[in-house]
Amino acid sequence: MKVRSLAAAAALLAACRGGEENVTGEKTDVVIVGSGASGSLLAAKLAQAGKRVVILEAGPERTLGDLYSSQIWSRRLKWGGPVSESSGEHPIALNFNQGWGTGGAAMHHYAVWLRLHLEDFAMKTRFGRGLDWPLGYDDLRPFYDRVQAEVGLSGDADAEVWRPPGAPYPMPPLVVFNQARIVERGFAMLGLRTSPLPLAINSVAFNGRPPCIYDGWCDAGCPIGALVNPLVVYLPEARAAGAEIRHRSFVTRVLTDSRGARATGVEYYDAGGRRRVQPADLVILSAFAVQNPRILLNSATAAHPNGLANSSGLVGKYVTAHLSTNVFGLFSDETQNYLGVTGGQLLSQERYAKDPAKGYLGSSQFVIGNALKPTDLLGIAGGRPEIFGEALHAFLRTASQHLATMTVFSENLPALQNEVVLSDRRDAYGLRLARVVHTFGADDLACFDAAVVQGREIFQAAGAYEVWDAGRHNAHMLGGTIMGRAADSSVTNSYGQTHDIPNLFISGSGLFPTSGAVNPTFTIYALALRTADYLLGERSALA
Amino acid sequence: MDTKRRDLGARESNQEPSLKTTAGSHGALLVSRRFVLAQLAAGASALAIRSAWGWLSPAAARAQGVALQHLSVAQAAVLEALGDTLLPGAARAGVAHYVDDQLGRENPLLFLKYVDWTGPYLDFYAQGLQSLDRYGSVRFGVPFADASPEQRTALVREIAAAVPAGWTGPPSPLFYFVVRNDALDVCYGTAEGLEELQIPYMPHLVPPAKW
Repeated sequence: MKVRSLAAAAALLAACRGGEENVTGEKTDVVIVGSGASGSLLAAKLAQAGKRVVILEAGPERTLGDLYSSQIWSRRLKWGGPVSESSGEHPIALNFNQGWGTGGAAMHHYAVWLRLHLEDFAMKTRFGRGLDWPLGYDDLRPFYDRVQAEVGLSGDADAEVWRPPGAPYPMPPLVVFNQARIVERGFAMLGLRTSPLPLAINSVAFNGRPPCIYDGWCDAGCPIGALVNPLVVYLPEARAAGAEIRHRSFVTRVLTDSRGARATGVEYYDAGGRRRVQPADLVILSAFAVQNPRILLNSATAAHPNGLANSSGLVGKYVTAHLSTNVFGLFSDETQNYLGVTGGQLLSQERYAKDPAKGYLGSSQFVIGNALKPTDLLGIAGGRPEIFGEALHAFLRTASQHLATMTVFSENLPALQNEVVLSDRRDAYGLRLARVVHTFGADDLACFDAAVVQGREIFQAAGAYEVWDAGRHNAHMLGGTIMGRAADSSVTNSYGQTHDIPNLFISGSGLFPTSGAVNPTFTIYALALRTADYLLGERSALA
Repeated sequence: MDTKRRDLGARESNQEPSLKTTAGSHGALLVSRRFVLAQLAAGASALAIRSAWGWLSPAAARAQGVALQHLSVAQAAVLEALGDTLLPGAARAGVAHYVDDQLGRENPLLFLKYVDWTGPYLDFYAQGLQSLDRYGSVRFGVPFADASPEQRTALVREIAAAVPAGWTGPPSPLFYFVVRNDALDVCYGTAEGLEELQIPYMPHLVPPAKW
């Protein structure tokens, strides 16, 4: 067989990969790739509207009974598929941020649910830098409000003085323990305000789910369902409405018709390594932000030689991440840092407002009083990686009782050169792996460094006898399949519908044109709900 | 804002699982030491290795001489020496058996998973241990496992700071970082480790012995 075109090469490759076990399933209305935050919400809403929905989840099945209280065991929830390459001057932590199994990354997320601010949606217009979203805060606000009413958020909207307009939280804030109170002293000494941290964790029983018991095991998954995860919110509704979820189903390509005008389904490999095709009227890519562009780029055909939905050349571009670190302090007080939730207890967004007069453009925030365990990446020992030997034992004994911390998040302005591309390495199915290239810019670093300086001052004002920070790290991965108003400057419209292929949608943090400085999960859910409304409305791609 | 923050008493009145508390000096809630210690239930070890003798902790596997499946005896000796240098007691806690056991799993739970290492996990350890041994010979004329405690400390300090000339495999600071966390896993990553630090375990679900 001679190869005269990309399509022929793809067909040959598929035949080699699939061998004779090439199974085409029954056509469904919707196939969703990934069972995480956005995929689970979309599955629920579409199935409840009577659509036949199939979810293909790359990882294994998880149940609440699998969520053991152990930092070591919790690593099962982190990405266990083919490892993407992470490069650039500031490589993004990929495996740590991704999920593996039912619920994806939302199974191990910390449930810090914050709204983006008004200016985050209009960076280009307001500051001449970055990108504009194709929608404003007012467009998204009703969906933030609806999501929080459906899943339950705990917080104090009045105390959160920086919060954009929105409905009050349905639950009161969670309990604040000694660690956060101690750090709060420093904020007060410097005239800085704090508020309860809004969390997607029940402070009281809500919708049949129990309240939090403050044991700090959020990172290992919350088996009681006090913390919003897909096993307790949206996936149960999806299943009850007839949605099917197939685990260990690794999607490799989106398939299109001969003209490349419409998606016809997806190709995937099942647990036995058999190639399968799931035909569908509508394809939604809801995988992690590194996997969606990988699938699109690997789906190149003769009609789409640079990958699907990539007429703009922007698939994979404008990847962002939050600059992040922890400020630590040792106090003579007993901090009881093992109590609370992993996400934190208090919030301060006094540094959020963007003002180029500061000498940089960007936002940052402090999330105060993360519950700590001794081990793992964000554990107590991880705060002082240079210490070893008997000194490490001694540090752990002291810090277990007297350490306090807060997390700094700051903005990453979008840059074209930060991208997901295909690596020369291939996975077990012969598909090229992803390589993420990422470097923070001068504004990003200046914004972050200024926040860290103030963070250390806060801890000193709070009375810490030793203060340090963990250096420059990153959290969350955003962008890579950005939304926008025009087909030549973005991959999708504001609903995640690709400009090039009307029945191919994308959901998740990859849609974000800018990062803001807030944790992205609440916005992921709000955007997904808006997409669900669109799909079920008059202009539906399902019509 | 304080008036809107829930207090634990309110939750206790709802008959939900509760912590025993007393008022703290800053209006926060202090959990009583008695409660903390009461929560330190022994529980099953989170680290267990399947052997001909059943499920064992890494420490027991080491003590009983369970055969290694992936690391050589020599590699395990270097890993134990490094583990004990990074966190004294790691060798006896079974760091080599822990790593060796995890290397055979479909979805290993090693800390290495977090660092986006794209090669085979065994190569990470094999190459790092070989380079460490070689660097010991270059610096002090003896392999790492045969070096004195002072020499080992000096070597670890150097590889943590920068990649020495001639080092191959994973960058030495990364190798240090990962093995340090392996040592932490076996010493403090279980209910027993938390108890050692007087940290209340407070599990939702205790891991099964088998994993």
